[in-house]
Amino acid sequence: MGAAATLELRNVTKFFGQFKAVEDVSFSLGSGSICGFLGPNGAGKTTTIRMILEILKPNSGTITVLGRRSALEVRHRLGYLPEEKGLYKKMKAWAIIAYFATLKGMTRKAAKRRAFELLERYGLKDFAEKPTDALSKGMGQKVQILASIAHDPELVILDEPFSGLDPVNQQVMEDLIRDLARRNRTVLFSTHVMEQAERLCQRILLIAKGRLIFDGSMAEAKRTVPRRVRLETEDDIAPLRGLAEVSAVRPAPRANGELDGPEQPGPRAVPARSTPPRANGQVDGPEQGSRRWELELRGDSDAQVILQTCFGRGIRLKSFNQSEPTLHEVFMRLVGPEAKEGAGHE
Amino acid sequence: MKYALLVAWREYAENAKTRGFWLGLFLFPLVLFLSVQVPILLEQRATPVRYFILVDPSRGLAPAIEATLEKTYQRQVLAALKEYARKNAAPLTNSASPRPAPSLEDLNEADAQALETFVAKGGEGFFLAQIERRLRPGAPPFQEPRRLFQQVKLPPDINPKAGLASMADELKPYLRQDKLVEADGVPVQLAAAILIPPDFQNQVVRPQTRSPAAGPQPPASNQQIQYWSANASDPRLREEVERAVNAEIRRREYLARGMDAAVIQQVEHTYIPLVSLNPKKEKGREAVGAADMVRQWAPSAFVYLLWVAIFTVMQMLLSNTIEEKSNRIIEVLLSSVTPGELMMGKLLGIAVVGLTMVGAWMAALFGILSWKSGGASELIGQAFLVLRTSNLVPVFAVYFLLGYLMYAAFILSIGSVCNTLKEAQSFMAVMTLLMMVPLMTMTFIPKDPNGPLARVLSWIPLYTPFTMMNRATADPPLIDLVGTLVLLLATTIGALCMAGRIFRIGILRTGQPPKVLEMLRWALRR
Repeated sequence: MGAAATLELRNVTKFFGQFKAVEDVSFSLGSGSICGFLGPNGAGKTTTIRMILEILKPNSGTITVLGRRSALEVRHRLGYLPEEKGLYKKMKAWAIIAYFATLKGMTRKAAKRRAFELLERYGLKDFAEKPTDALSKGMGQKVQILASIAHDPELVILDEPFSGLDPVNQQVMEDLIRDLARRNRTVLFSTHVMEQAERLCQRILLIAKGRLIFDGSMAEAKRTVPRRVRLETEDDIAPLRGLAEVSAVRPAPRANGELDGPEQPGPRAVPARSTPPRANGQVDGPEQGSRRWELELRGDSDAQVILQTCFGRGIRLKSFNQSEPTLHEVFMRLVGPEAKEGAGHE
Repeated sequence: MKYALLVAWREYAENAKTRGFWLGLFLFPLVLFLSVQVPILLEQRATPVRYFILVDPSRGLAPAIEATLEKTYQRQVLAALKEYARKNAAPLTNSASPRPAPSLEDLNEADAQALETFVAKGGEGFFLAQIERRLRPGAPPFQEPRRLFQQVKLPPDINPKAGLASMADELKPYLRQDKLVEADGVPVQLAAAILIPPDFQNQVVRPQTRSPAAGPQPPASNQQIQYWSANASDPRLREEVERAVNAEIRRREYLARGMDAAVIQQVEHTYIPLVSLNPKKEKGREAVGAADMVRQWAPSAFVYLLWVAIFTVMQMLLSNTIEEKSNRIIEVLLSSVTPGELMMGKLLGIAVVGLTMVGAWMAALFGILSWKSGGASELIGQAFLVLRTSNLVPVFAVYFLLGYLMYAAFILSIGSVCNTLKEAQSFMAVMTLLMMVPLMTMTFIPKDPNGPLARVLSWIPLYTPFTMMNRATADPPLIDLVGTLVLLLATTIGALCMAGRIFRIGILRTGQPPKVLEMLRWALRR
């Protein structure tokens, strides 16, 4: 990856006393990408971010930011939104944005102009002259986000940018991030909201207990979870068990809404029982004697094989549904057991 | 450095907006102004003219009392006239036209003979004419001081021939101010009545008549000289009367024993002045004047100012640091500036806030003193002189800066490890306790400015600024002056370095503040 990388961590380890907060983390980001930094509470995300920004120093390993070994050397080209949001209570919204921009090397005049420009663009024009303790929590957070990008940084690190925002402003935030990437800025953001990560990220970093347990594209991430086919039939499905493409067969839970009924890829799909007949010609809804099954597919196997086998062996399907795994499932599968332990020092 | 300056500028601009800053800025000048102006106003306006009735059917003592009161008034006139001349007339030069004798400036109102000369020459009118040619153009006309004690006539409804006892009864409603008497046709309140019995001679107490075995019966109160007044809190008239009566009685006693009246007067005008001298002063100028008193006590006022200034800016620094820490702005700041730059910026910004405040105080001090020094009080003039001629102000500036930086090191350490002001309170309680010492010793040190207490405290860096400020005009030994300054400087630098380490570690910490020992470990690491 070499010198072209916007951000590169190599074998970074950080201790707090005896506690190993981050252990041997290595990854590298190219420019113009949106990367999601995921992991359960206390996994070491914030510590890693603080090390990238040189707020904390790693015990071992190297961090290269924009080609430099010290983030402070390139601090003018970095933008940072910390996890816990706060502003100077008595300062005016524009003054805070301008102040942080001047700390990032902008002239006072340019910073002020930029502050008003950003506040207008993101719908806070009327609040520019208000002290920040007069703003709502969400508005205050928007001001802080604007403060972190006012100097048009090349690498933007956002720690939990979506928390505390209503759906409309979450959308504004998403647009903002996409806009940054479109202008070839690199965005690394941590989040607990999988849907957002799934919509935004080309790249996923998953960290748990201080270790990087996954680093790859969104597609690669999803491949870590076997694709599944769900079907409903009254007939015996024994022939399907023998297929080379099928790695596991189990009854699909009925009562559980999450797994019951047909699913579409993506979290927005809420299955509706009374939908009209689907493309596969099946009427949904369980009937007397019919059972639901869930089949896991091996690797890149084609789900068509199952369908063909069903037709060939006379298995009458009441429903057949092939779904992409969601990021949520990826997350649960990779870090689920550890997340439950919940021990946290971040 | 540029970023430290940016941080400093924000600190300054934001703190200059706070209520505390403006309160601090104006409170001191206001207190100073009031403490100078109120006594003057009270002197001028609030003490009312005391109207009194003097009943002396035998006319045995009344002339003496009236003369004494008149003398007191003439003394006031002389003092006022001299003050008027000092303010409005060109000073007498020795070379120019022959010095008139006696000249107004040569008369000392405290000297009885000078006062008599003043009156004998024609008093106010004569001396006004004397200085008239020297008056500056546009000088205001001379205003006579008010007569504090004015005699009024017996109200017409009281029989002047009646006995003192019944007269006292009849005067009671007037003395209680239920009824008013008349002075120059204006009804006024009667403050006092002095009733002198015709046989007052018999009441004189003489040493030889007072034998322990059979002394004279104490005179019945209705035969004594009576001073009636409902107001017991203003004894001045009573004292004047008592002094006049006793002087008169003694004069008569001298005469009765065959002494010459002229001799008596000469004896009465005999006095010996006492001069205070200070061995530390230049030879020939050892006399201790009002300026020396001011010089001795003025540093205490500066110690107090120093204390208030340092304490005020410490509070600002603490609340600012904790604000940044508690709402985690600190993280954004630290992604833009180094902890060192942040600390420098904060120190600098708040220092300038403090200097602004202190500068405003000094300006107010000079302003108010110079405005008042021409006028009412000699003491203020002296204070102004001391302020201009001594090194108090530069010394104050030096000790303010060093003291502030040293205490700021503690405050930054405390602020960086506490998440709320509440958490900081236990640390601050200790700091406040430590800082109480100079306040408590402030008034003792001027009495013995180079004594053991002063010297020991001077060598404790925490107290160096306050104690050395306190000793500023007492010429402390050079070793104290330089030694403590070097020690203070070294301590300040050391404290700031340690604070820097604690700040760097503490500022990102959350949760319970660490123990003091742990903070020390951070400070001393590496």
